[in-house]
This record gives sequence, structure tokens and C-alpha cells, in this order.
Amino acid sequence: MGGMDRAPSMSRRGRASMDAMMRNSGADAHLGHRVIHCNDHSANLPYKFKHNSISTTKYNFWTFLPKGLFEQFRRVANMYFLMIAILSTTPISPVHPVTNVGPLVLVLAVSLIKEAFEDRKRFMSDKIINSSCIEVLSGQYWIKTPWSKLAVGDVVKVRSDQFFPADLLFLASTNADGICYIETSNLDGETNLKIRKALERTWDYIDEEKAVDFKGMVECEQPNNSLYTFTGNLVIGKQTIPITPNQILLRGCSLRNTDAIVGVVVFTGHETKVMMNTMDVPSKRSTLERRLDKLILLLFAILFMLCFIGGIGSAIFIDRKWWYLGLSQRGIEEQYNPSNRFFVAVLTFFTLVTLYSTIIPISLYVSIEMIKFIQSTQFINNDIHMYHRESNTPALARTSNLNEELGQIEYIFSDKTGTLTRNLMEFFKCSIGGVMYGTGITEIQRAASRRTGVPIEEAPRSEDYIREKGFNFDDKRLMRGNWRNEEHPDICKEFFRCLAICHTVLPEGEDLPEKIVYQAASPDEAALVTAAKNFGFFFYARSPTTIRVRESHIERLGKVQDTEYEILNVLEFNSTRKRQSVICRYPSGRLVLYCKGADSVIYERMADGQNPYREITRDHLERYGEDGLRTLCLAYADIDPRQYEDWNEKFIQAKSALRDREKKLDEVAELIESNLILLGCTAIEDKLQEGVPLCIETLSKAGIKIWVLTGDKMETAINIAYACSLLSNEMKQFIINSDVKSIRDVEERGDPLETARVLEEQVKRQLYDAISAAEEIRQEQSGVDLALVIDGRCLMYALDPHLRGALLRICMKCKAVVCCRVSPLQKAQVTTLIKDGAKKITLSIGDGANDVSMIQAAHIGVGISGQEGMQAVMASDFAIAQFRFLTDLLLVHGRWSYNRISKVVCYFFYKNLTFTMTQFWFNLYAGNSGQRFYDDWFQSLYNVLFTALPVLAVGVFDKDVSARRAKKYPQLYKAGIDNLYFSWRVLLVWLFFAIYQSLIFFFFPTKAAEHGVNGGLNLGLWDVGTMAYTCIIITVNLRLLMASSSITVWHHVAVEGSIVSWFLFIFFYSGVQTPNLQDNIYWVIFNLMSTWYFWFLIILVPSMALAGDFIYQGLQRWFFPFDYQIIQEETKFRSKLEINDPEHQLEMMAMLDGPTTLSAEEERSLAMAQLPRERTWSKHTGFSFDSPGFESFFAMQEGVPAPAKSWDVARRASMTPRRSHSLARTDSRTGHASIREDIHMPRSSIAEEEFDGDDSENRSFRNNPFLEEQPSRRKSYFD
Amino acid sequence: MSANGASTSDSGVAIPPAKKESKKPKYSKFTQQELPACKPLLTPGWVIATFVVVGIIFIPIGAVTLLASNGVIKDMDAPIYVYYQLDNFYQNHRRYVKSRNDKQLRGDNGAANETTGCKPEATINGLPIAPCGLIAWSLFNDTYGFTDNTGNSLNVNKKGIAWKSDREDKFGKITPQNFVNNMNSSALGIEIIGGKALPENVPLDEDEDLIVWMRTAALPTFRKLYGKIETDLKKDQSLNIQIENNYNTYTFGGGKKLVLSTTSWLGGKNNFLGIAYLTVGILCMFLAFVFFLVHFRNPRPLGDPSYLSWNRKIPSAANSSH
Repeated sequence: MGGMDRAPSMSRRGRASMDAMMRNSGADAHLGHRVIHCNDHSANLPYKFKHNSISTTKYNFWTFLPKGLFEQFRRVANMYFLMIAILSTTPISPVHPVTNVGPLVLVLAVSLIKEAFEDRKRFMSDKIINSSCIEVLSGQYWIKTPWSKLAVGDVVKVRSDQFFPADLLFLASTNADGICYIETSNLDGETNLKIRKALERTWDYIDEEKAVDFKGMVECEQPNNSLYTFTGNLVIGKQTIPITPNQILLRGCSLRNTDAIVGVVVFTGHETKVMMNTMDVPSKRSTLERRLDKLILLLFAILFMLCFIGGIGSAIFIDRKWWYLGLSQRGIEEQYNPSNRFFVAVLTFFTLVTLYSTIIPISLYVSIEMIKFIQSTQFINNDIHMYHRESNTPALARTSNLNEELGQIEYIFSDKTGTLTRNLMEFFKCSIGGVMYGTGITEIQRAASRRTGVPIEEAPRSEDYIREKGFNFDDKRLMRGNWRNEEHPDICKEFFRCLAICHTVLPEGEDLPEKIVYQAASPDEAALVTAAKNFGFFFYARSPTTIRVRESHIERLGKVQDTEYEILNVLEFNSTRKRQSVICRYPSGRLVLYCKGADSVIYERMADGQNPYREITRDHLERYGEDGLRTLCLAYADIDPRQYEDWNEKFIQAKSALRDREKKLDEVAELIESNLILLGCTAIEDKLQEGVPLCIETLSKAGIKIWVLTGDKMETAINIAYACSLLSNEMKQFIINSDVKSIRDVEERGDPLETARVLEEQVKRQLYDAISAAEEIRQEQSGVDLALVIDGRCLMYALDPHLRGALLRICMKCKAVVCCRVSPLQKAQVTTLIKDGAKKITLSIGDGANDVSMIQAAHIGVGISGQEGMQAVMASDFAIAQFRFLTDLLLVHGRWSYNRISKVVCYFFYKNLTFTMTQFWFNLYAGNSGQRFYDDWFQSLYNVLFTALPVLAVGVFDKDVSARRAKKYPQLYKAGIDNLYFSWRVLLVWLFFAIYQSLIFFFFPTKAAEHGVNGGLNLGLWDVGTMAYTCIIITVNLRLLMASSSITVWHHVAVEGSIVSWFLFIFFYSGVQTPNLQDNIYWVIFNLMSTWYFWFLIILVPSMALAGDFIYQGLQRWFFPFDYQIIQEETKFRSKLEINDPEHQLEMMAMLDGPTTLSAEEERSLAMAQLPRERTWSKHTGFSFDSPGFESFFAMQEGVPAPAKSWDVARRASMTPRRSHSLARTDSRTGHASIREDIHMPRSSIAEEEFDGDDSENRSFRNNPFLEEQPSRRKSYFD
Repeated sequence: MSANGASTSDSGVAIPPAKKESKKPKYSKFTQQELPACKPLLTPGWVIATFVVVGIIFIPIGAVTLLASNGVIKDMDAPIYVYYQLDNFYQNHRRYVKSRNDKQLRGDNGAANETTGCKPEATINGLPIAPCGLIAWSLFNDTYGFTDNTGNSLNVNKKGIAWKSDREDKFGKITPQNFVNNMNSSALGIEIIGGKALPENVPLDEDEDLIVWMRTAALPTFRKLYGKIETDLKKDQSLNIQIENNYNTYTFGGGKKLVLSTTSWLGGKNNFLGIAYLTVGILCMFLAFVFFLVHFRNPRPLGDPSYLSWNRKIPSAANSSH
């Protein structure tokens, strides 16, 4: 199997690197190379290299206006209003240009100011960066120079924790061996340190006296965006030394754990690799906004209809009989020419378009943007409920355009490790010599007992109980040397020694059990070593050839002795081997091989007849597996010295083989890893995050379907799903698994084509069986929930275009879906399947780089922040610290946001339609001539002044039910999923009342004005228009109060303020005579206010207009109440005041105590939480072979440049599913299980390097970026 | 706008966060969205109460208004307002409404030449018309004379029929010039079917007929104040009215009416508002009554969780399955 695995992967790797080479050579041919004279400023001048100052601003002083305006007019709405504005300057316009130009200018101004503000922020941060200082060699001295002054060829000195100012060629380090450590989190988000090594030839140039003498020439590639490649030579004198990526320090990284380095600037400013990699994040638009586009289209349709009716009407109206219109004159304008009615209709159509343009709410987009901005920056980012104390991480909305999408999520795709679980491995139980130890009860056991109703007895904690990071084991039989009294003390001893010796962990810090820190490749491994420590086998020091263990209670109780074990060979872990062995020599000369690994591989290699605990341990393994624990088998074998010598020779040969080295090494390892004697097994708990089961329960009550997509094996995934109450025994479960006997049999025959065919057929059959079973269940109406569990390999076939439909059908019927052993790409494919195939709104949540693709593919990506790794967060739209905060994010913020934005949009629709329709009615009575009913200024200020603020108040403050009730009644969320508040039905109601109100606004003031008023005087058109407008302003603003669920003081300020501002405006405006315009409005309001007519109407019209909505709302609540309305009533009439609620008071107290600094305890927990990210170079490696590693990691392994930015992955995932599929098919045809391809573990070549780290060997590893990935190990060996 | 947020790493450099500072958001009622708010619920009780209140307020207002309006039937106390009413006359047509020049009407220096916007009545033979535009040109020119049954003619007062703001500010001391209606149509060689001629030496701000006319009406049926009779008219008193029928409404089938009306404190006789108030008030009372009955006979318990959709669905599903 191992061999079969390898071949295709190698070929693929080869292909990729070939491609890379082709690309590079192509680039070279095109661009030539760059020659840099080091430390010689004048020699570099002719090349005119770019300077090192950067600018990330979008605009500069000159381009701001043209470019900014261009950006604005790319929006359809703005373009439309620009056209209207242009139209309004022509004679066909019924309105003064100001009517349409004014609001447009205002809206543009607001947007441009925002742009300018954001650009200024970028400018300021650029300025800070450009002016930060670095030491540059000038003459004999290091001179502090701002980054922007740095030039190509300069020699610079970078000190610890400083950032590299440009892409540098690494010359020398204060570390004697010419290495330095860098942190690349700005590049790839990985917080682990990486190692760079200078060319030996340049090691000396660390001091200024020496560095001055450095005169070299660098020939290298032209600037490009490939972060992981570099080709070039350093020419010193007559010597030409090749430069590899290993000598390149990229801008954006920082120097760590090294006092200082010296380097030569190679690429500067925008030519640095990191800068050449920056691209714009593709912006997502929310579903509601896309629906809004449809609404706008509807409005355009209405507009067209109104104008069309008007155009025809005007053509019919125009007639010479209206002598007073002067239509008989010669040279009459075409628009009024009765002899050409067609032209009249067309021109009037455009006149009316200009007049009715208000039907499209110009300020809608700006308002929504402002609302969302406040929602995300003020509410989401500041929500105390979403602040995680332990990691000191608040929630972060990285984009503000998707808030309301959070209120409509129907599908959640969740990663398992690190998202549902803590990725905090704790040694929990073990089985030694057929005896189970450890009394703890897992979350999963508790869930199971809840499910079955069988209570579990919880043993009290023993007094010896030790709890530390990685160790949560309680059983006094093994502690403090008690194991000596157990049935098999010798086996216990071997077990503990195996734990203490067989690993690749590095100890750091003082060699005291309390102070030591283990630096491990995976948390699992650290947990095992920690366990050994607590059992009295304290591993405290390591050299390249020895491991030192402080052993207690060996000879007699209480005795402590230091023992040094000579490590002869380390047989590294990889995904094929699934095991790791160490051959060590005891001080006594005893040769032992300790091995730990997956049960299957260990069992295969056991000695015959020497393993009495074989079967019982298997039982234990199964039970641990059921409890959701991660298990490892431990075994050992005594080795005959002579046999060892023979073997070691082979091993050394294999190690120095130039071809197929890894394969040969594996084969050699196979020889010695045999005749193992089983010691027992360990069980490590990957703890569920706090509150996960509750959160999932709440979310599924809210109608959200949660899928778990994990790289873990099926058993673990199912267990976790049970623990999270995603799966239950009441559910009908469909399991589509490739790891069944029939398929294994086919595989064993070794025909890949056959395997693929059988697999495909099996998947197909299972899918259709599941569908028919599901249909049956539905017909029976038994109310049984369905669940689907599918593994990645089957998923690969199920995602095939001709099975995809079936997969989708069954998935839609299922309440829960668990996909295990899936690759990052498949995660994205599944997400895309639901997003595009089922047109459902999806959310992906994950914490690691392997989740990036699905995070990008979903409508909303959520990253788990505050842990190691930043890639998921960098790719996400929202970042939260804990899975359980999804409850707040979705049920509270998302729900409110959706409600608010829906309300705002509906309200905008209503207010503009109402306003425009009054003009339409008026024109029906004015020969459809396009005469305006209102003054120009009224029309232009309607949207931007008199009705602008209250909408913001609703958009920001409206709360139908409290946050607590929204969480208490998660079902309320369903309204968002069903889109109850922004449906055509809702809009139809608003439309109906908009028309109803507009009729009242037009007819009441006009009819009432037909007769004389005070003193018998008559009211004219403008009096009536102003009257109607006043009524509209009052009504529309009051209508907003009626639409508000909660009315804060700001609502009053906005609503009453708007009405008052209208009066203030009209008092002023009608009080002055405009010199050039018509004096239509002069003194109108004062004349009006002197009449009873005005005062009677101002009460009557708004009352009547609102009566319709009032009756509707009253009846609706009365007879067809929405759920939220019942909750509102419940809150108001049925529950005690929340203030008196003790729970609420506690919550309030928790919120109110807000120290600005962390308490000592918090600080410690924070430090604890941060520990693994410093120490671990990546997770899911080492022994957590269940999970796939980093996406970028595979890419590097295969010699292709890793996706530089996370969204590349997503693009690949979402755009070329066929390609990846065909790739997978190819693999399967060649007999390679392609899912394995995606979860390849590092084939570490470190071991070899450690032992024969000479320069020639080093060169052959040059293209293996892997080599640079393990600072910790390297470090200690070089120490 | 494109995605914003914490993309500070664009520039390739991030400043490491200060270590010990808590990032816990500060509590404020605003950011935690806990601003005190009033939460009005439109419960049946409120609906009924609101209707009752509106009914109680509107019915008296309507009644009083209607009484005030109808109180003028028996005697007509001075002043009696004389209106002419035109039907099917589109003073609100776009071409008509804008055909005037307010600057000219204001009569500032040299304003007589201001005729922008007055087309097609801006100039005649190259000379500016004042007052220009279609509105002034089509000024209503019927005249009415009133005599009582004793044969005494009743004086019609033409002063004070326009708004003070119009008289004083919008119209100024400008006298008609080249006013087409004042000209001899045969001399001009074109047919003028205009309206009233304007006395050459009376400034426009004294010609209240013009001022009234030029406050264009909102609907094609409108009344304009013709004058005031400042003599009381008794019940059953008959009036003789001499009408000089000059104004051409025949071409477009328009109607003309002469209306005499007194005024109450409300203004002219106008039943519209009164009826509207009364109707709304009565309707409200009626609705309140109906709703009350419904509420009384079939009340909905407020905030009853069994009304929640997810609680309602379960029994119905169970029923259908059995």
C-alpha cells in the first residue's frame, strides 16, 4: 500500500516542479535578470531600481477626484442618477437641475469623504512604515535610515524583533552557524518560526569593519510574486555561489530569537514579493442586497410604467383647443406640438422620468452602508458576549457588507478540530498490560448517557490528581510510583519509558518538572511526554544522540535517578507509516526499539505468541474510540546488537541514497520494526470547546443545519457528532463509507481501474438507496430525522457531476451531514454544492488553513481567532474566538441586522414610492404635462434631509426582541431563513399602503383647497403642494415610528428632528425671495398657517394616511401574529422585569466590571493559551494523523509555490471543480487512493539532515522548503 | 464599498499588539445595544382604545366644522364672497405654470425687459411684453354686476381679494407694456384670443384680479375670488346679476360658474373637511365597536407561547399523521 501510494504522488510532484521550472525559465527569458552591486551605491544607479517607499493608497491628491468619481459611477444607481442629472439640465426637465444634482452631489460627497477617510488611514500607515528606521551601512558605520531611503544593494542590519524593510539576501547572523529565525505570520499567517541559513561564504560579514569589505554582485531573477522561490547567484570575486530561497529574508517577516543579521537589499518597495502578492479581496455581496437589486428593477419597471402612461396621456391631452396654452403659434416646441403627438409622448416620457426619478431611492445605498458600518464596528466588534476572556479576543467583523446575511444562514459547515474541539490534547486514559487506567468521563460519554438515559457514575477526584496542560489523568494506581504495585510493573515501566523516549519533542527552559516546556510537533506528542513526566519519567534534556530522563521509583519507591539513553536511530513518523520508532541504547547496553503508532500498523507487526494483551487491548481501543478519544498503541522490541549492526548499515545506505530515498528508508524501517511486543495504548482527549453542544442545539432549533466537514477518520467524526448532539440514535443514518470489506477486497486485487469502478458503483447505489429510503420515511410521516455520514473518498465520486444531483437530494433531506476524511478542496466543493446547487445561504467556520477554501467559498466565512494560525481569520468575513459565539453572532446580531436592513429597505421603498405617486396623481390632473407638484428644493431634500436620519435610527437601534430572548427562542431565527421580512408579500403590503397614502396626500389637500379659505382667499398650486408635502413629511416620519419595535430617545431626536427641520427649512425658504428663480414658495407657509385649512388638514391627513397601516398592523398582530410579536407580548405582559432577574443581574455585573488590564489570573490563562502557538510549528502533524495538514504545506511539499493568498485556494475550489475531480480520477486509475493524496503528512527529511548536515547534503535539500520549517529541532541540534 | 476591516497587513507590516492590555470591549449601553427604549405593542386593547380616542376627537371636530360650514344657509352676512369657477381649465399645465416671470412682476428697475420663461407670450414684434407669459395673457375677463330686488346695484369690492404677500412683495409698480390683450388684433395681423386687457396706467400690484389669477390653481376645476359684496343679504332675497360673458371656455368645453359665499371662522363654505372628519370619526367608532365585540367574544391571550409557530405546528402535524 505504501509503495502504491507513493508512485503517483511523486509523479505529480515532479510534474508540478517541472511546471514551476518552466515558468521560471520563461520569466527569465522574457525579462532577463537583475544585477545588483552590493554595497556600491553608485554602481547601482544606472539600473534605476525602484525606491523602497510604498504606497498602498488608492488615490493621490490629483487622482482622487477623477478616480474616486469613476469608482462611484460604476454603481448602477449612481450612474442612473447621473443620467437623470444630465437630463434635468435640458429643457425637457420639469425641475430645476438642483433637484437632481443636489442629492447626487450629496451622496457622492458622503461616499467620497468616506473613501478619502479610509485612504488617509492607509496613507498614514504607509507613512509610518516608510519612516520607520533601519541601520544601513554607510562608510564605516551603521546609520539609522528610514525605510523609504533604502536602495537596492544597500547593506542593512536588522535586529531582533524588527521587520525586514525589503527583500534581503541574508549574509550573516550573530548566531555562529549563520542561521536566523523568522516569523512569517504576515505572509502566510503561520505563527511558527522558520529558519534561514546564510551562505557559509558570507558568515563573517556581521560587524561593520568586516561588512564594509563586502563587495559582491548578485545576479537574480526579476521581481516576481512567488513567495517560495528564488533563483540567483552571488558572485564574490571569481566565485559564483547559488542563492536559494533559504538565503532570502522577505519583507513583511520579522526577525526572532536572533540578535541581529546583516543582509543586502535585493528587491525594494513594490517590487518585494509580499507587495507583489497583495491583491484586492473579492468583496462578497449579501443575498439581501442581491434581492434589493431586484427591487430596484421593480422600481424601474414601475417608473417606466408611470412614465409610459404619462407620455401617452400627454399626447392625448395636447390639443389646440386649449387656447390658453398657446399651442397654435408657429415654432412651438416639439414637446407641445399637437401636430406631432408621437414626439410629445416621447419627450414627455423623458420629462416624467426626470420628475419621477425620486422613485429610486438615491440615498438608500449610502444609508445602508452607514448602518452596516455602525452595526459591525460598534456592535459586533464591541459585543461583550462575544469576548473570550481566556484568549483575550473580542469578535471582529472584517467586512461590513454581510451583517444581514448572518440573519439568514441555513447551512453551517464546520471544521471539527480546533473549531468544535479545542485542539488541546490531554492525556486522559491508558491501557497498560490489559488494564485500563484513568477514571475521567468524556463529554461524549456524558452525551451518550444523556441520550440513553443511563447515568454514569463519576468517580471522585483522587487527592493525587494532577491537572496541567496536556494532562488530565486521574488514577492513583499509576501515580507516585504506585504502579510498582500493579500486576505488571515491568510493562508499566516499559510503557512509561516508551512515552519518555519515543518522540521528537524538545525540552525548553529549566529542567524542573514544573518549569519545563515541551516543544512538540503536535499537541498529542507533548501530551504523551507530559504524561511520562507525571508518571515519574521526566524527560528533561536532549542532545543529537541522547535523551536524558529523570526516573523516579525505579529501584525503590522515592528514589530519583538520571538516566541517559543513547538514541541510535529515529524512524520518523509519516502518513504511510503511521508510526514512529526510536532505537535507543540503555546505559546497560540493552538495545530497545520503542514504537508508537496507529493500532492497525502496530498489530500487524507484533511478535507471534508474545502478546497476551492483544485482544483485551483491542477491546480497550474500541471503547476509547467510542468515547471519542484518540488512541495510540505503544510497543517495544529488544534488539540483538549484531542484528542491529547489519540493519544499521542498510539504514545508512538508504539514508544516503540519491533516488527514492524516502521509499528506501521506509523499507529499511520495516525490517527492524517487527516482532513488537504490545505494551498498551494511550487515549488522548481532544476536548470539545466550551458550550459547543448547547450552541449546536440552539442553532439547530433555529432551523440551521450544521454539517461537520473534517479530515478525521469516520469513528472520531461520528463520535464528535454524537457529542455535539448532531447525530442521535433516533436518527436514521445513512453511512457511505469506502473503508468496507468489499472495497478493500477489490483494492487488494490491485487493479486501480477496477477499484474506481466498484467504488463509483457502490457510491451510486448507496446514494440512490438512501434517497428511496428517505422518500419512504417521508411518506410514512414518522417524523424520523435523517443523517448522512460520508467519507472523502466516496464524496469524491458523489461530487461527480452525474451523481451530484443525487447527493444534493439526499443532503437536502438530512438534518445532519458528517463528511470525514475530506480534503480542503472537498470542503469547498461541498460548500459550493449547497450554495450554488441548492441556492441556500451558507456559512463556513473553521480555524485552520485547511478551512480557508470553504471559508472563502461560503456566503459567509467565519474564522476562529485567538488561536494559532491566522490564515482562516485572514480569509474570513467574521472572526470569533469560540464556536459558541455563533449563537450571538447569528441569533442576535445577524437576526437584528437582517430585521433592520429589511425594514430600512422596505421603508425606503415605501417613502419614495409614496412621494413619487403623489406627483403621478397630480399629473393625471395636469394633462400629464410633467408639471411638478412640489418645489424643486422639496424634491431634492426629501431623501437627503427630511427623511434621512430616522431610517438610520431604525437601522441601528431597532430591536424587536431582546438579545436574551432571541437566544432563548432560537426558532425566531427561522423568519430570516424563510426571508419573511423582505419578501414580495411584505413589499406588496408596503406598496399597497404607499399608494393608499399617496392618494390621500394628493386628494385631501387639493379637494379641501378648492374653495376659498380665510378671508375668502384662494389657494394655488404651490400652497396645496406645500401642504401636501408637509403632510407627507409628518406622515412618513411617524410611519417610521410605527414600524419601530423599540423607540429610543434617538428615534425621537431623528423623527421629531426631521419634522422640525422641515418647518425650519420652509420658514426660512418661503421667507425670502429668490432673485432668479420663480417665487413660487414665497410666504406660502405663513399664508397657509394663517388658515384653519392648514391646521385641520395637518391632523386629518396624517391620521387618515396612517389609519390604514394602523388597522393592518393591529389586525395582523391580533389574528396572524408573527412569532416575534408573541415573544414581545410575552416579554411585556408575562415575565417579570428583566432587571429583577438574578441571571440578568449577574450578566450585567459581568459586563460592567471592565478592567482595562488583565487580572493576574487572566494573564496567566492567556499566556497558557498562547503557549502552543509559540511552540508548535503546525498542528495536525506528528501523531494527529487523522487530520489533513496545511494546504500550503502540501503545496510546498510538492515543490509548487504555495497559494500565496488564501483566496487562491478558494478560487480553485469554486471555479475549477472539474479539474480537481479529473485529477482525482487520474489518481484512482493509477491505483492511488486520492483522498490520501490530500492528507499526506510531511515526509520529514530532517533526520538525515541532522546526522549528516554537511554542505553537500545541504545543497541537495535546497529545493526542499520543508527543511526550513523546523526551527525548533534545528535549533537544539545546532546548539 | 469593498471589504474593509483589519487588513492592515497590506503593507506587509503589522505592529505587534501590546501584550497586557485587555481587549475586552468597554461596556456602554450603546455598543451593547441596551439603550432604554419604549416598546409600544399594537395589542387589540390599544387598537380599540386608539379608535375610540380618534373617534371622540374627530366626531366633534367634524360636527363643528360642518355646522360652521352650513351655518351660512339662511342669511348671508357681509362680506359675501363672489367667486368664479372654471371647469376643465388646466391652470396647472406645465407649459402654463412656468409661463411667467416673477422678476418682471416684481417690477424692479428694468424688469420690464425680463421675459425669460414667458414663451410663447414673451415678446411682440420684438418688444418685451409686460406682464409676459400665458398666465397673464389668458386673464379671466367675464364681469359680474349685482343689483338687489330694489334695483340698487351692489358694490363689488375688488380690494383685498389677493394674498397680502402677493400684493406687497410679488407684484410691484410695473405698468403693462405691449400687453397683447390691449392691442388691436387686426392691427397686429394675428388673431388674439386672449383674456382681459389691462389698464395701461395701473401698476400690477394694484390689479388684484391679475394677482388672483396668477396664483395658479392646483386642479383643473378651481374657484377664484372675484370680489366681495359688503352688504348683508337676507334670506329669500333675490339678486339680479348681469354677466358679461367674454371668456372663451367653449373651445375646450370648459364650464363657468358664479358662486356667492359667505365665510365662517373656517373660511369659505366647505363641507369637505367637516365630512371627512365626521366620516373618519364615525368609522373609528364603528371599528372600535366591531373590534371590541370580536375581542370580547374571541380574545387572543397575549404572549401565549402556544401561539408560537413551532408550538402550533406540532399538534397539527400529529393530527395529520393519525
